[in-house]
Amino acid sequence: MSPVYLFDLASRHVSWASFRQTVVTSNIANANTPGYIAQDVKPFADVLDSSGLEMARTSSAHLASDDVTGSVGGTTEADPWQVTDSGNSVSLEQEMIKADEVNRTMSLDLTIERAFQRMILTSVRSGS
Amino acid sequence: MIDPLRAASAIAGSGMEAQTVRLRVVAENIANANSTGPTPGSDPYQRKTVVFAAEFDKLLGAADVSVHSIGVDSAPFQVEHDPGNPAADANGNVKLPNVNVIVEMADMREANRSYEADLQMIKQTRSMTSMMIDLLRNS
Repeated sequence: MSPVYLFDLASRHVSWASFRQTVVTSNIANANTPGYIAQDVKPFADVLDSSGLEMARTSSAHLASDDVTGSVGGTTEADPWQVTDSGNSVSLEQEMIKADEVNRTMSLDLTIERAFQRMILTSVRSGS
Repeated sequence: MIDPLRAASAIAGSGMEAQTVRLRVVAENIANANSTGPTPGSDPYQRKTVVFAAEFDKLLGAADVSVHSIGVDSAPFQVEHDPGNPAADANGNVKLPNVNVIVEMADMREANRSYEADLQMIKQTRSMTSMMIDLLRNS
């Protein structure tokens, strides 16, 4: 049976989204910190393209490579809506929109995973 | 690095804590808006300000916020001619605190807004976590 990649893709997308949620929360927490520059993560497509083949870990002594969140990395927000006198570039409205985007993305991913899970369960049950 | 969603809750919590300190300082300023010095001619209450600082937490993988310091506003005091006041100097002038209640109110509203934004993020993070837990439930 050829491997089903959708589970993997969806769960990678979920971990990317959770990391983005952390970054957005960090921006909101620092909404009043002088000199703080709003951060964002790289788009998912870029992260996926840059993650190449990895060597398998066959022994616990091998070094573990970072998971997807390790390679996401933070970048500064490309298009901040406002920069205050104190040099802070966080706009609460913009961050709220980003947070909502993350929430929607995650909901979509989890729905996809659920659909696949149901599909697999159906084939397992019909076999008995 | 811990789970990003848990990190998000922790960071939003640090934001709420910082805003609470700010609100406390605002309350202190408003409460002391009319506090003169204890002896004739002495300096009255000086307005306090709060300074936040972002701090990158390696465990959380993002920057949380903390109160860096509580400083004092060096703006000049208001002077009022009131010879009957116990704090009046030889010329009958009383130094009043450099607290502007309108400014404090604006500061309070901003702290409130940021606190609500942090709270919203905690709510949203929690709903994301419960969405994930729901996957485990038998569908």
